[in-house]
Amino acid sequence: MAKIELQNIAHSYNPQAADKAYALNPFNMTWVDGGRYAILGPSGCGKTTMLNIMSGIVQPSEGKLLFNDVDVTKLSTSERNIAQVFQFPVIYGTMSVEQNLAFPLVCRNFEKAVIVAKVQEVAGALSLEGLLKKSASKLTADQKQLISLGRGLVRDDVAAVLMDEPLTVIDPDLKFRLRRQLKEINQKYRSTLIYVTHDQNEAMTFAENIIVMDAGSIVQVGSPSELFERPKTTFVGYFIGAPAMNFFECKLEGSHNVSFGGASIITETDLSKTGEATLKLGIRSEYIRIVETAGINTIKAQVQRVEDLGTHKLVSAIFDNQNVKIKVKRDQEVPLDSVSLEFPARHCCVYEKEQLI
Amino acid sequence: MGLLYTCLKYLVVSLWSIFVIAPFLWAISTSFKDFQSVTNGATYIPWVDFEPTLEGWRALWKSPAKGGVDIVEPFFNSIFVTCAGSLISILLGTLAAYALSRFTFKAGFIRNSDITFFFISQRIMPPVVLAIPFFIMLGKFALLDTLLGLIVVYIVLLMPIAVWIMVDFFNKVPREIDETALIDGCNPYQAFYKVVLPNSIPGIIVAGMFCLIFGWTDFFFSFILTFTEVQLLPVAIVALNSSITPWWSLSAAALVSVAPLIAVAFVVERYLSKGNLSGALK
Amino acid sequence: MSLIASNLCLKADTEYHLNDVCFEMSKGEIYTIIGRTLAGKTTLLKTIAGLIAPDSGTLNLDGSDFGRIPVWKREVAMVYQQFINYPHLSVYENVAFPLKQRGILKTEIHNRVMKSLLQVGLEGFEERKIQALSGGQQQRVALARSLVKEANIVLLDEPLVNLDYKLREQLREEFRNIFTAKASEDAILIYSSTDPVEAMQLGGQILVMDEGRILQQGNAKAVYENPSSAKVSQITNDPAMNLFEGTVAEGKIILSPQIQFDLPRHCQELPPEKYNFGLRAAAITLDEGGFPFTIELSEISGSETFLHLKHEHVKVVGLLDSVQNFNMGETVMARFDTTHLYAFATDGTLKSSPYSGMK
Repeated sequence: MAKIELQNIAHSYNPQAADKAYALNPFNMTWVDGGRYAILGPSGCGKTTMLNIMSGIVQPSEGKLLFNDVDVTKLSTSERNIAQVFQFPVIYGTMSVEQNLAFPLVCRNFEKAVIVAKVQEVAGALSLEGLLKKSASKLTADQKQLISLGRGLVRDDVAAVLMDEPLTVIDPDLKFRLRRQLKEINQKYRSTLIYVTHDQNEAMTFAENIIVMDAGSIVQVGSPSELFERPKTTFVGYFIGAPAMNFFECKLEGSHNVSFGGASIITETDLSKTGEATLKLGIRSEYIRIVETAGINTIKAQVQRVEDLGTHKLVSAIFDNQNVKIKVKRDQEVPLDSVSLEFPARHCCVYEKEQLI
Repeated sequence: MGLLYTCLKYLVVSLWSIFVIAPFLWAISTSFKDFQSVTNGATYIPWVDFEPTLEGWRALWKSPAKGGVDIVEPFFNSIFVTCAGSLISILLGTLAAYALSRFTFKAGFIRNSDITFFFISQRIMPPVVLAIPFFIMLGKFALLDTLLGLIVVYIVLLMPIAVWIMVDFFNKVPREIDETALIDGCNPYQAFYKVVLPNSIPGIIVAGMFCLIFGWTDFFFSFILTFTEVQLLPVAIVALNSSITPWWSLSAAALVSVAPLIAVAFVVERYLSKGNLSGALK
Repeated sequence: MSLIASNLCLKADTEYHLNDVCFEMSKGEIYTIIGRTLAGKTTLLKTIAGLIAPDSGTLNLDGSDFGRIPVWKREVAMVYQQFINYPHLSVYENVAFPLKQRGILKTEIHNRVMKSLLQVGLEGFEERKIQALSGGQQQRVALARSLVKEANIVLLDEPLVNLDYKLREQLREEFRNIFTAKASEDAILIYSSTDPVEAMQLGGQILVMDEGRILQQGNAKAVYENPSSAKVSQITNDPAMNLFEGTVAEGKIILSPQIQFDLPRHCQELPPEKYNFGLRAAAITLDEGGFPFTIELSEISGSETFLHLKHEHVKVVGLLDSVQNFNMGETVMARFDTTHLYAFATDGTLKSSPYSGMK
């Protein structure tokens, strides 16, 4: 229930050093009230540092943090009205579910009637009503994780719910249930949800907006489909999507054309201002089509392997000494031979020095 | 508020430091005094209040016949008994702890945790309760007033500490490491000394330190179980407290008795802070 | 030349860790044991390694009783899901350890260690300390150590599960080539996983495990096309295959008063009874001619959208080929492509499959 602004935030674990290495390079960021965000990146990219700065576990060495335009940079975690969910559920095992949920309010000396009402409300929202009297230690992992979350939500003034890989310990079939509940909570309370993960699939399924990070910097912020369709850098193209985006070393040929291995590919990108002669062409394996006859925007590639992944087949082919992966439907027959691949122009992204043009 | 809090913090810490350091300073200054400076009222600062002398220290290795106190033999007795007791305790304790950590024992209602508790239970009873049985048993085996008898008793007292620390430590070493060693062709003994042991050095050092400290500072058992033939340092120091107490030599002897522990702590601290041990296992 | 397990059982208290496990594995093949957490996968691998003794049953390798050989004399190698290496040794010494243990000549050890390190992409890391490596590199060391022995049986217990998503994807592809090469040296490679896609990608043979029992064994394609039971269909599909109760009557399948459809051709001969019908997410699509469903949740995954749909007691997950946004609670029309319908008896056994017709 708050807009969160990070102004010129940067963090170095050793700020006094002359050549201070930033764990988090200076950046600005605004989290819209009620938004559902994911911070995505490989281990050590600074995503947990960023989350810890917002929760107050880490004091940023530079910059300011504003909640609804109020500077909270120096406030402690407990003064920030933040709910946190960690990788492993944090519950008080000796207490019942009800006592667990009531605990933050009991500690703040709320009136009994208020506590009961609030606990009922949150338990309802999390579908925990039937379990209120049960001992918290007897619950399944996803229920425990919901209690961790519920303890954050019983307070009226939660600015944001911060989650650090909350689904790691949850079995695959329960993950869906928890994700749904998180989204419902988000709709009902309009609380800002911020979710840290290394799993692109989880980020894509959960968030409205994804912040992709690498080596202490934000690489791209966008909706799942933006990140999938037009990755700003080759890193994002690699990191989002399974399999990663296909990239080809290619040469500038015309205002919209690139060429590699003797094939000319027309794109929808205006390349007239590009100075660089060598570029990279990126295309998702989902968008490459296997066609009968060679035509415009086709290459003739040699199929190396066809993997049966169940619903899909993943075809690995080689062209001009560069690998290409194509994802096709299960029903489609793919010969272990040379095939024509069509690159639809609107799905071609061109990169200059790893940056999208 | 902030300033007041900081001042208060430093005040408390300073008071505590004085409380801890003062006896040391007192012992150091006393060890350089002679009869005059001890008995004629309180004196504090050397060369101002009193003339420092090395007599108290020299007396430590002079025989009583020559007016000394001679604690050389008790000192080496103590070192021998403590080291031997600690070493054997660590050796046996580590083996026992490994077995308790890795294998499941069943005997009626007794499980691994009960066995571990049995070891520790030796230390729960007040020493007085143990002293009499020890006295009788050592007497039967003619081990009273011998170094060997003391070592045996120290093993009984120190091994629980070693077992306790090492069980905890081994439980934190992933079992998969031993299993991998077995798969890689080690038999269980080789897996223990080639793989588990090298990764348990920090635990062994900690256990060893505790054994040395407890063994070295023991007064009660060495007092009860020795008479004339064998004397350990703590007993020898207390024995100095006779009708005419040589406070200067007593202080010097007390400082000598603390020295080995400080040396051990210093070496271990250096070793640990090199970082080659801590963090070997997550 | 094969590894044969017969009637392996292991019980702790009242719970079976292994329940009458039988299989035959032949050299030169990759086997994937797929099952949920606590299905008994690790127990089975450790039993093959000799780290766990089964209560009953035998293991037989090439005609000799393998189960009686102590671990340290079995020709096996194992990689764990935790990154297990010897922390007190360098990378080189870690990989050389099993060879030194056998008293092999120093020069040969050197050649073999360097070859293994090259294979897993760790050349130049010989002198590094294990703690100075990343998780992925540590797992490479463990793999190198398991390859250097040239063991007959290589056990891989979810080796990638603790790695970052992208690293997992990358190593899965890299390792597969190593595994294929290894298997071709007349070794048996056994890989355990919870991830159906991983199992499919490795190809080879699949053993589906649940509650200590092997539910089905066969090549990847066969298990995908004809899961022997409803349980198998849940374990071997991600998302799990949709299951819904329905009754066959008068040439129709009746799920609810509103949702009824004609029997597809391969189900024509189903006797009129209650069944559990199975349909993969990809066979449920949006179509105006379908049935009304409420959207419980829509999730975007790459270029696809997963729709969690509900109609009274029927809950299914559908998969759309494009990225679309929906509101929770919205009503849409969903079509069931019944040519891909599976029918399981109420006890779970497969009755009819779109790939092989009636059972």
